[in-house]
Amino acid sequence: MTQRLALQVNGIPRTVDVPGDEVLLDTLRDRLHLTGTKRGCDEGECGACTVIVDGAPVHSCIFPALAAQGAQVRTVESLAGPEKELSTLQRAFVDQAAVQCGFCTPGFLMTLTALLESDSDPSDREVDEAIAGNICRCTGYSAIRAAVRSVVREGGP
Amino acid sequence: MQFLAPNTVDKALEMLSERGDDLRILAGGTDVMIQRMTGQLPRCESLLYIGGIDELRGVGRLDGIIRIGALTTHRDLMTDPIIAAHLPSFAEAAATVGGWQTQAVGTLGGNLCNASPAADLAPPVLAADAVMVVSGVDGPSRIPVDHFFLDRRRTALPAGQILLGIEVPVPPATTWESYLKVGRRTAMEVALVGLAARFSMVGKRVETARLGVCSVSPTPLRLPHAESVLVGSTLDENAVAIAAQRSMEMIDPIDDQRATASYRRMLVGRLIRKAARLARHSLGIQ
Repeated sequence: MTQRLALQVNGIPRTVDVPGDEVLLDTLRDRLHLTGTKRGCDEGECGACTVIVDGAPVHSCIFPALAAQGAQVRTVESLAGPEKELSTLQRAFVDQAAVQCGFCTPGFLMTLTALLESDSDPSDREVDEAIAGNICRCTGYSAIRAAVRSVVREGGP
Repeated sequence: MQFLAPNTVDKALEMLSERGDDLRILAGGTDVMIQRMTGQLPRCESLLYIGGIDELRGVGRLDGIIRIGALTTHRDLMTDPIIAAHLPSFAEAAATVGGWQTQAVGTLGGNLCNASPAADLAPPVLAADAVMVVSGVDGPSRIPVDHFFLDRRRTALPAGQILLGIEVPVPPATTWESYLKVGRRTAMEVALVGLAARFSMVGKRVETARLGVCSVSPTPLRLPHAESVLVGSTLDENAVAIAAQRSMEMIDPIDDQRATASYRRMLVGRLIRKAARLARHSLGIQ
């Protein structure tokens, strides 16, 4: 049995039929084909699946899809502009070499986008606390912090 | 599996009374969804998602009572001015739960009703003498928090009822409280031991003491025999040493992959000493 889910994804109204216990990650990846959001640990620990729901970062791998009924959902696909130009934060990740294997990157980008949209000048500590739920096993976090600092200098994500 | 998403308490209770055993209540889902995926959930036909009931979210203060809705998120607790002014240990405990993604979605009511032995919000709620306000179709009733946790993942919440929120008396102005947690790292970590300590003072002496702990027994619990030693004391070394000793005798920690029982036992005593030291410093007791 499926149920009707109506929500906005990256500003576009979408309607899909989903099983009652589906998680948002599966809806995004398998039904809406937005595969930028990654499945990492699949238990709400690693942050690779982070998307923004009504302004807050959430672990989409454990977020019930139908709990997003009527919500505004944003995924990493929303960050680049209409001509595929990278957002300031994405550009900073590239410039600061904050990406290695890249699997965790969409999650970091979404958590940090949520942070920078709510606080345009976070302290290093606030950045560290914001990304405590995002795990990177390649670069470590220094380059990611440097990317955030450069965005703050340039005035926003 | 059906996903029921009522937007009022009345509708949720109606569904519960009709479908009872078939339903599994979830709020933020940060625990329930994981239990579902790992096969730890008892078989149920449907999920009763109460996260959309706006009336159960938020913090208010009226006539000396602070009311916290069951759906108030950890993030809400971390940023609420009433909590910051009167119940800072709630904000401290909420800040240790998961990362931002968990704090934005996970709720106070979920943390308490899930009744994990390691529930971080349980120690401060125990130390605050909170009353749990629950309701079925026949209307609300109240359960003192020290009667709420029955066993690992089992509470006194009656079948067919939901937790509406908790009520906490506004503490006296001379109160110090804090939540201290030991884990292997500060974020995204289950407590090896969590301690909420609260001391209300008259002059330099403790008038009431509350110690709530998690991760040291099948349920979070208060340590009344240790509290009573501290009442009337100035949180001096002797009283604190006896309280720490007694606390270690009152708990029943387990060995697991995170820590040994004897280490947990030692930590409880150390955290009580640390709490007393911080309180003395903060209250200006020399």
